[in-house]
Amino acid sequence: MAGVTKSYGALHALKGIDLTVEAGEIHALCGHNGAGKSTLVKVLSGIVRQDAGTMAIDGRTVDFHHPGDAQRAGVSVVDQEISLIPALSVRENLLLGLPNAPFFVRHATSELFVKGLLARVGLEGLNPLTLVERLSLGERQLVEIARALGRGGRLLILDEPTATLSDVEIDLVFKAVKTAASEGTSVLYVSHRLGEVLEICDKVSVFRDGNKVTTSEVGKLVKRSLIELMVGEVKGDDTVRPVLAAEVSPRLQVRGLQTPRLHGIDLAVDRGRIVALAGQIGSGAGDVLRALAGLVPEASGLVFAEDKRVRLGSPSASLRAGLSYVSNDRKSEGLFLEQSTQTNLVATRLDSLSRAGFVRSRALRSIASGLARIVGLESKMASPVGTFSGGNQQKAFLGRCLMRGDKGVLLLDEPTRGVDVAGRSEIHRLIRDAATAGNAVVFASTELDEILDLADEVVTLSAGRIVSARPRAEVTTEELLSDMTHVEREVVNP
Amino acid sequence: MTGEMVLTVPTESGRKNRRSIGRAETLLAVATLAVLVYGALTTDGFLTLEGLKATVSGVGILGIVAVGMTCVTLSGSLFCLTLGSTLTISSMAFLSWMSIGVLPALVLTIVMGALVCAVQGLLIGGLAANPIVVTVGLGSLQIGVASWLTNQSTVYPPAGASYQWLSAVYAGLPLSVYVLVALVLAVAAWLSWSRTGQLIRLVGENSRAARAAGIPVTGTVVAGFVIAGGCAALGGVLLGATDGNATLLSGGDRYTYDAIAAVLVGGAAAGGGRGKVQHTVYGALFIALISNMLLLRGFGGGAQMLVTGVLVLIVLLIFQMRRRVR
Amino acid sequence: MSALIAKLKRTPLPRSSASMTFLLMTVMFAVVPVAAGSTFSTFSVYTALQIFGTYGLIALALGITMIAGQFDLSTLGMYSLGGMVAVKLGQGAPMTGVAAAVLVGAVAGLIQGSIVSRFRINSMAVTLGGFLVLLGLSRTLGDDRTVSYDDVGVGIILDRPLAAVLSMHTLVVLGCFVLIATVMARTRLGRDIRAVGGDARASHIAGVHVERVTTGVFVISGVLAGLAGALNAFTLSSALVNPGFAPLVFAGTAALIGGVGLAGGRGTAWGIALGALSLSLLQAMFGMLASPSWVSSIITGVLLAAAAAFSGLRRQTVWMAWKRSMSHMTNRNPGRLGGNGISP
Repeated sequence: MAGVTKSYGALHALKGIDLTVEAGEIHALCGHNGAGKSTLVKVLSGIVRQDAGTMAIDGRTVDFHHPGDAQRAGVSVVDQEISLIPALSVRENLLLGLPNAPFFVRHATSELFVKGLLARVGLEGLNPLTLVERLSLGERQLVEIARALGRGGRLLILDEPTATLSDVEIDLVFKAVKTAASEGTSVLYVSHRLGEVLEICDKVSVFRDGNKVTTSEVGKLVKRSLIELMVGEVKGDDTVRPVLAAEVSPRLQVRGLQTPRLHGIDLAVDRGRIVALAGQIGSGAGDVLRALAGLVPEASGLVFAEDKRVRLGSPSASLRAGLSYVSNDRKSEGLFLEQSTQTNLVATRLDSLSRAGFVRSRALRSIASGLARIVGLESKMASPVGTFSGGNQQKAFLGRCLMRGDKGVLLLDEPTRGVDVAGRSEIHRLIRDAATAGNAVVFASTELDEILDLADEVVTLSAGRIVSARPRAEVTTEELLSDMTHVEREVVNP
Repeated sequence: MTGEMVLTVPTESGRKNRRSIGRAETLLAVATLAVLVYGALTTDGFLTLEGLKATVSGVGILGIVAVGMTCVTLSGSLFCLTLGSTLTISSMAFLSWMSIGVLPALVLTIVMGALVCAVQGLLIGGLAANPIVVTVGLGSLQIGVASWLTNQSTVYPPAGASYQWLSAVYAGLPLSVYVLVALVLAVAAWLSWSRTGQLIRLVGENSRAARAAGIPVTGTVVAGFVIAGGCAALGGVLLGATDGNATLLSGGDRYTYDAIAAVLVGGAAAGGGRGKVQHTVYGALFIALISNMLLLRGFGGGAQMLVTGVLVLIVLLIFQMRRRVR
Repeated sequence: MSALIAKLKRTPLPRSSASMTFLLMTVMFAVVPVAAGSTFSTFSVYTALQIFGTYGLIALALGITMIAGQFDLSTLGMYSLGGMVAVKLGQGAPMTGVAAAVLVGAVAGLIQGSIVSRFRINSMAVTLGGFLVLLGLSRTLGDDRTVSYDDVGVGIILDRPLAAVLSMHTLVVLGCFVLIATVMARTRLGRDIRAVGGDARASHIAGVHVERVTTGVFVISGVLAGLAGALNAFTLSSALVNPGFAPLVFAGTAALIGGVGLAGGRGTAWGIALGALSLSLLQAMFGMLASPSWVSSIITGVLLAAAAAFSGLRRQTVWMAWKRSMSHMTNRNPGRLGGNGISP
C-alpha cells in the first residue's frame, strides 16, 4: 500500500499511510485506541473506502467497494466478533459460502479438505461434525482462522485475536499463524499485547494519531522502546480540581463483587472523586460498571451507596440508590433515538415527576431544561436524539444522570466513544463539573489520554481482577500502558 | 446488514423528522380524498349523506378495537391476534351476565377482557415470548373456554333486560361512534400525560434501553395489553347489544385483521414507540370507506379482506422505503 | 427471580425433546382411551395419521420459514387458497388442480419472499398482509361460500386405508417430509437455510446469497401450504372458506415442540414431523375420548402459549432481533474460557 489516506468526518483517521507487507511476513500494527489501526483494517477489508491513496496486492492495484471485493482479492479478517454460525457444525461453517459448491454435499470429497484445514490450525483432533456452539472461544477463533485460510487467503488480518483467550489457546493461535506465514500468507497482527507482538511478529508498525510512526524489525526493538513509540506526547490536564470535604465514609463501596467474568472486585469512591477503571477489552472494566448498574442478574457481593446496601441485579434498585449508568452502547442500550432530548433527559426520573400516575409536565419541563442547560443542549430540546452527532448524543445520555442532589454516583462506560475531539473535551468538562458538584464518578476506558486526563485514581484490571490501584499522581504514562497492554504475559488460570 | 459504517456526516435538523411524520398524514388525507372522489364518481349512493353515515357507523366497533390494538403495537409487542376472539367471548359473556344488571355486566365483561389480555402481556413482556404465537395460542384458548361454557350454542340476553340503549341511534349515529370518540380522547390523553403512557412509548421503541433505564418493562407491556383487552371487551358489549345475540361464529376474527390494518394504515408503523391513536382511527375510517365502496358495488367480505391485505402490504412498503431514504 | 431466569437462559436445550414428547404422546395415546373404556384399534392409528396428513404440511411449511429465521403467517391463507384453486381448476382433472395450487403457492411465496428479503421488512408483518390477500382471494373465488368438488372418488382414493394405518394422503405428506429432510441435511441449500437462520450477517460475510435463500424458503412454504390445501380439499370433496386459526395453532405448536426455535437456525424436518405426529396423536386421543372440540382447542392453545413462553425464555426471538436490527450492536456472549480442552 502506498500513501493511503482516509479522512472520516472531522477526524483524520489516517494521514497518508504507507505500508508494505511481504509474503509470509507477520506484521504487527500497534498503537492505542484512536491511533488509526482499526480504520486501516476497515479500509483493507473493504468495509470503508479510503479518501485517497492506493492499495496493491501482489503488484496488482485493488480498489474495494464492498467486503466481498476484499474477500475475492484474498483478504480475510478474523476479529473478536466471531463470524461463525453457532447452530452449524464445524465442517459446515468451513464450507459455507464457498463458490462452486455442489448442490448435493458430498462428504467424501470435502472430508479431506476439511481435515486438512483443521490440521493447519492445530485442530487435528477435532471432530468436524461438532456444532460450533459447543466449542470454546479459542477453538472458535481457530476455526475462523482455518476458514480464512481455506479461502486462499493472501492477506490474513487478525484484529485482537487473543483478547479473551487463555494461554493454551493463545499458543495454538500462534502456531496456526506461524504455519500460515510459512505457507506464504501475509499476516497483519493488530494487538495491544506487546508481549505477544514481540513473540511472533517479524515487523512492527506503530500508529499514533493517524500517522504511522515507524516500522521496525522486531529483533531491533525492546519492550520499553515500543511503549515509548506508542505513547508519544500525552497532554495532561494540570488544572487542580477542588478537593471536596470528605464524607465520613466513601460514597460508593464495593466489596467482593463477583460475576461470571469478575473475581472479587473491591472499590471505594469518595464524593467528588473520579476513579478510572483501566483495562483492555475483556479485562472486566465494563463488567464492573454493568454489575453495579444492576444489569448482571448473577452478580453477587456487597455494594453500598451512602452506607446503604444496594441490591444487585435490578436496574431500578441501582437507580434508586443513586447509581446512574451510561452504557458504552448509547444507541441500543441507552437513548431512545426517535424521542426528543427532553424525553431522553427525564426518562429515568418519570417516577419522581409523576403524581397519582400523571406526569407533572411543568416540573418535567423545568427539570429537563435545567439538565439541558448544564449539558449545552437547550437549543435542541425538541429534536429527536437520533439526528445528533455522537458528542451531542453522549451529552444527552450523560445529562440524564445529573442533578441527583447529593446522592449521585455516575457509572460511565467509555464516555467518549464515537465522539470527536471537540465533543470529547466538552464531555470531560461535564464530568469534572459533575464531580465538583458532589457526585462520585467511576468510568471505564481503554483510552490512555482520557484516563490520564480525568482520573484522580487509576484502577487497572485484567482478566476480571484488579491489577493495581494508584492515585493519578503516582501513575506514569508508560506504566499505565504497560499495565494495560499486558507486556509481561501472566499465567491466567481459566 | 454487513459493512455497516455510517459515513454520512449527521445533520442536526429535527425538521427532517417532523416533515416525514407530516407526510404520513398528508398521504393518508390525499388517499382518502382520492377514494372519496373515485367512489362518488363510480358508485351509487356512496357520497350521499346516508352512505357516509353508514360508513361512519360501521367504524364504531372496529375503531374501538383498533384503539386497543394501537396500545399493543405502541408497546412494541407487534400485534395482539386475540382481540377478535376476546370481542366474541365478551359479547357472549355480557349477554349471559346481564341477569345481574346491565351495568354490572358491562363492568364485569370489561374486567374479564382486561384480565385475559393481561396474561398475554405478562408472557410477552416478562418472558420475551413471541407475541404472535402467544396471542394466537391464547386466542384458541379463549374460544375453547367459551365453547365449553356455552356448549357451543347461541347466547341470548335474559328477557326483559333493558340494554337497547347501547345499540340505539342518537342524532343519526349509533352509540358506538360516540363511545369511540370518547375513547380516543381518553386514551390519547392517557398516552400523552400519564406516566405509564409515556413509558409505553419508551418500552416500545427500545425495550433494552428501557430496562437499562430502570423502567418496569413487564408492567408497562401488561398495561398496554390491559387497555387492548378492555377495548375489545367494550366492542364486544356493543356488538352483542347490537346483534341481540352472540355466538362463536360472530366473526370476531374479522375485527382482528381490520384492526391491525387500521393500525398499519394509520401509521403506527408496527414499530413501537411511534404513532398516535388518532391516526389509527383515520386508518380505520379509510378502510371502512373502501369496504363500504366495495360493498355497494356488490363485492363480498372476501374481496374486502383481499383489498385490506393489499393495502397493508402497500403501506408496509411505503414505510420501509421512507425509512431507508432517511 | 431474574437470576433464575438468567440461569434458565444458559441451560442447554435437552437433546431430542421432540422425541421425548413423541414417546410421551404415544404412550398416552395407547393408554388413556383404553383406560377410559374405548377400544384401541388400527383405526385409531389411522385416524391419528389422517390428522397428521391434514395439518402436517402446514407445520412443515411454517417450520421451514422459522428455521430460516422468518415466520410465515400466510401459510394459513395459502392453505385455504390452495384448496379453492384445486377444486375450481381440478374438476375432472385432479392433478391439474394440485399443480395449479402448488403453482399459486410458489408465486405467493416468491412475492412475499422478495418483499421480505429485498426491502428488509419483518416477515411477520408482510405475511400478515399476505395472509389477508390470500384468504381474501380464496373467499372471493368462492363467493364466500364453500365450493364442492364433484368427483368424490378422488377423496376416497386419497383416504383409502393402506396397510391398515396409512393412506395415499399420508404417504404423500410423509414423502414431502422425507424430501425436505433430505434437502435440509444433505444439500447446500439446506445448509444455507440453517446458516441464514442462525446468523444472517455472518452468512452474508461468508458469501451466502442471503436474499435468494430467504426468498426460496418462502417459495417452499407456499408450495407446501398450497399442496396441503389441495389434498385437504379433495379429501373433503369441498373447499372450505374459513379454516379458522386451528391449523396455525397446530403448525406453530408442532414446530416448537419439534425443536424449531423462534430465533432461527435450529430444528429439523424430522423434529417437525415428530411434533406434528405428537399433536396428531393428542387430537386423535381427544377424538376417541369423544371430548368436545373445545377441549382440544384449550389444550393446544395452552400448549402453544407455553411453548412460546419457554422458547422466549431461552433465546431472542425473531421479533426482538428485528427490533434490534436498527442498531449496530449485537449481543454476543463470548462463551466461557476453557470449554472442551484441546490436547496441545
